[in-house]
Formats: sequence, C-alpha cells, structure tokens
Amino acid sequence: MSGTLAVYQKELATYFRSPIAYYVVAVFLLGTGYFFLYNVFLTGETTMAGTFQNMGILLLTLVPVISMRLFSAEYSAGTAELLLTLPLSPWQIVLGKYLGAVTILTLMTAGTLVDLVPLYLFGTPETTTILAGYIGFVLLGMACLAVGQLFSTLTHNQIVAALITAAVLLGFWFVGHLQSFQRSEELRGLFGYLSFALHFVDFIQGLVRTEAVVFYLVVAAITLTLSAAYLAWRR
Amino acid sequence: MIEVSHLVKSYRDLKAVNDVTFKVEKGEIVGFLGPNGAGKTTTMRMITGVLPPTSGSAKVAGFDVFEQPMEVKKRIGYLPETPPVYTDMTVRAYLRFVARVKGVPRSAIAAELERVTTACRLEAVVRQEIFKLSKGYRQRLGLAQALLGNPEVLLLDEPTAGLDPGQIQETREVIRGFGRDHAVLFSTHIVAEVTLICRRVAIIDHGRLLAIDSPSGLQRAVEQTNRVTLQVTAPTQALREQLLSIDGVTALDIRPSPSERGMLTVDCQVDARNGVEAAIARAVAGRWDLHRLERQQPTLENIFLMYVTAPPAGGRRA
Repeated sequence: MSGTLAVYQKELATYFRSPIAYYVVAVFLLGTGYFFLYNVFLTGETTMAGTFQNMGILLLTLVPVISMRLFSAEYSAGTAELLLTLPLSPWQIVLGKYLGAVTILTLMTAGTLVDLVPLYLFGTPETTTILAGYIGFVLLGMACLAVGQLFSTLTHNQIVAALITAAVLLGFWFVGHLQSFQRSEELRGLFGYLSFALHFVDFIQGLVRTEAVVFYLVVAAITLTLSAAYLAWRR
Repeated sequence: MIEVSHLVKSYRDLKAVNDVTFKVEKGEIVGFLGPNGAGKTTTMRMITGVLPPTSGSAKVAGFDVFEQPMEVKKRIGYLPETPPVYTDMTVRAYLRFVARVKGVPRSAIAAELERVTTACRLEAVVRQEIFKLSKGYRQRLGLAQALLGNPEVLLLDEPTAGLDPGQIQETREVIRGFGRDHAVLFSTHIVAEVTLICRRVAIIDHGRLLAIDSPSGLQRAVEQTNRVTLQVTAPTQALREQLLSIDGVTALDIRPSPSERGMLTVDCQVDARNGVEAAIARAVAGRWDLHRLERQQPTLENIFLMYVTAPPAGGRRA
C-alpha cells in the first residue's frame, strides 16, 4: 500500500514538474469553455448535454498526452530498471501510476464546474442529469486512461504510445456508428456494446445504467491487468 | 548470500550467459571482471529478477529470484549500468522516493538520507535537480540509491564508470566499507580495481565463467604455466635441444632478437617448480653467451588477458 502511495505521489509530482499537467488542464478548460458558450448561448438551453458530448471528444485527444509517458518515459530513461528491482509488485507500480493519471483527469473535470455557475444563475438545470453526466465523464476518462497506460507499457517511445492510444480510442469511440451498416442483430449489439460513445450518451441523458458503469470499469480493469501482466512477463 | 547455479540466457542462437555458477558470501566483495559484452550485466539483471533466465537459477539470501521476487527485491540494492535517476527530481526527492518504496520508516528517512549522501559525497547537491548534475554525481546518486535501506546484497554494475580518479577512490572506499558485513557483487573491466577491493574475482567472457578465485589464487594458477624469457647468442637448433632437455621446460618459442645480430630471444614455458630458471641459466651460460634471463611475474592484467583470449585447457575452475 505504501509502495503504491509512493509511486502515486512521485507520478503526480512528475506531472506538475513538467508542462504536461498544465497544458492538458489548460487546453481542456479552454476547449470546454468554448463548447459551453457555444452550446448554451447559441441554443439558449440550460443543459450540459451538448457540452458533455464535446468534452468526451476533447478527452480522446488529451488522454494520450497524459498517458503516453507513464511507462515509455521510464523505459527510455532507464528508471524502469529501478522500479522493477525495488520491492514493488507490478500491480503496485501500475496502480500508483494510474491513480496519478486519474488525479489529473479529476482536476480537469473539477475545473469545468465553473461552467455550472452561469447555468445555475440564469436557468434551472436538472442537477441529477448533470451529476450523471459527470459520473459518466469520469468513468469514460478512467477507461481511456487505462487503455493509454497499457500502450505506454508496451513501448519505450512516447510518441508511438500516444499515436496508438489515440487511434484505438477513436476506434472505440466511433465503433457504434458501424451499427448502421450492419444487418446482423448480433453485430449491431456488439458494436453498440463496445462503443465508448454510446454508453456515454446514456449518462449525458441522465441515466446511470449499471451496464454502462460496469462496462467502463471492466475496460479499465482488463487493460490495467494486461499492463501488470506485461510488466511481470517482461521481467 | 548470492547463489547462482547453471545460469543460462540465450537470445536465439547467441548465448549471452552460458552455464554460470558461483556464490557470494556475506562479508565478501566479489569482482565480476570481463570485457564489454561478456555477460556481466545480463548475469546481474538475472540476479535482480529483471530478466528471466533461459535456464538455471539464482537465489538471494536463500530466496529464489523467480519464486519469491518480493523477498529478493527487499534484500538487494542494485545500481544498473546507467544510473536509474529521475532527472526532473531533486536529489533529495529522489532518494526520499526510493527510501519510502524500500520501506524505510518515515521517522528514519532523514537519518538514512543523511547516511547515504555522506557516504557518496552528495551533500553539496541534495537540493539540486538531477538533470543539472554531472555524470559523476549521477553515478554516485545511483550508488546512494542502492545503499538506501541497508540491503543485505549489493549488485553494482560498473559503479566507477564515468568517475574521475578522486571519485573512483572514494567510491571504492564506500564499496569496501559496505562489503565488510554485506555481500557485494560488482562488475568492472578495470583489472586494477578488483585487486584493490575484492576478495575474489570472477572472470567472465563470451558468457562463460572462466575462473573464480582470489586475486592471488588466480596469480598462482597462472604461475603453473609460468614463462621465462632469455636472450642468448647461440645456434638455434642446438639451443632448442639443450633447453628442451631440461626437466621443467614444457614449450619453447625461439626467434631472432631484433636488436642484435646473432642473438636469439627465447620464451620458455616452464612449470611451477622452483629452480627451473637456475637450471636454464646453468645449461645455457656454460656453452653460450647469456645476455638476459627473466621470470615473468603474472599481473592480474596478464591473467585476465590470458583467460579472455585463450581459456586454459582443462576448462573452468568454478
């Protein structure tokens, strides 16, 4: 436990010593602010639905930036050798680092709460719907970060890790669109189930479905397990 | 403390480490000597558990590296070839991180940091960011990190590489001091270094352990096939016959001296018996003009080269 905590704190400190954390949070808040103004003031509706949708896409572009260095940087600096010979289990390393990345995600998300101020000042938004949207967004982010972390454990090159993560996340985001090209009920179901976007839409509409929550958590659990297994195998 | 048996690491058809067996006891410093690419690093990485062996086993303090990796990791301090430092951290933050992961109690961390920074002469840079440090400082920081938590076993991969002579001296002192009650295995390709601080030397080349013995033991082993060089003015054929008739001379190499016409330089392989030189001197000086006779004292340098270039017949002494 203390090992995980030490890795977590080191990871978080690293984010803030480099420009990455500031960059990611700044870009995300600027982007979200823009989309928020666009969606709310142009439509005149006091909901976050449109903004959440855009936050999801913005997230896909920023997750690779957060996750790419998690392991790739350790490999190329030779510090992976340190982590792997210190009394840490692969799981402690994976979890400590993951939680560091999730903390950045949480900060990004918390920053967008500012947008709620005008919403509540000038309208009567549905609090439960907004809450559901935020829960969905954080779960989506957690799943994406775990995927990104997996690709970072697989390569020593940060750029490669980022590019593969971006491609895979985009694939999982848009896979739902393949539904329209399919006649087979099973395939339509499968594409719908795998879609990061379609599950997220439920949350945006105020539905916290167990199935969707489980989906994101399972994706995160599977990819984190694969990361830990790869580290153990790589030894 | 360290027990390596029949360790093999193959990459396709290349055997980076080939059937290596040795032990390092508590209170012992063993120097791992070999040219670059001999398999020193690969062996060390297998002992730390970072690299799985193709076959064979490694144990640290009785724990198998692959069956109980956690127990092993708790007991080793490891300095890889490139110091594993986080360049964006300060020296203090880095050491603090490693100490915490090694399970040093919070209350003891300050004292422990003090101990290793003093031992490795890092006091002047504790507040600095690591990217600002020179190679020598980084190397010593890597060593300090390995010393944290006072591990029972130290594995140091070329700990003196990149240091200036003064720093090398200090680093050797640190290793020597640490070796008194721990087990230390350190690799190097500097022969002089092992004579200075090691109780035993393991010579490795092409993945094979060629010899493991004390520096003086190795010297003795080589003296078994000692060499006497003489310069003499004599007819070649007669000289050869005369020398080979001496009991104790096993082989000869006769060639003309470059310096003087008619003079021959002779390398005699002789066995370990005393008095062989005297017999040679008597046999030659009585008939011809003997200019010089000298028994070559094997230095560790020569021994190393001898083992590395031509492993002695009869194979390894492991």
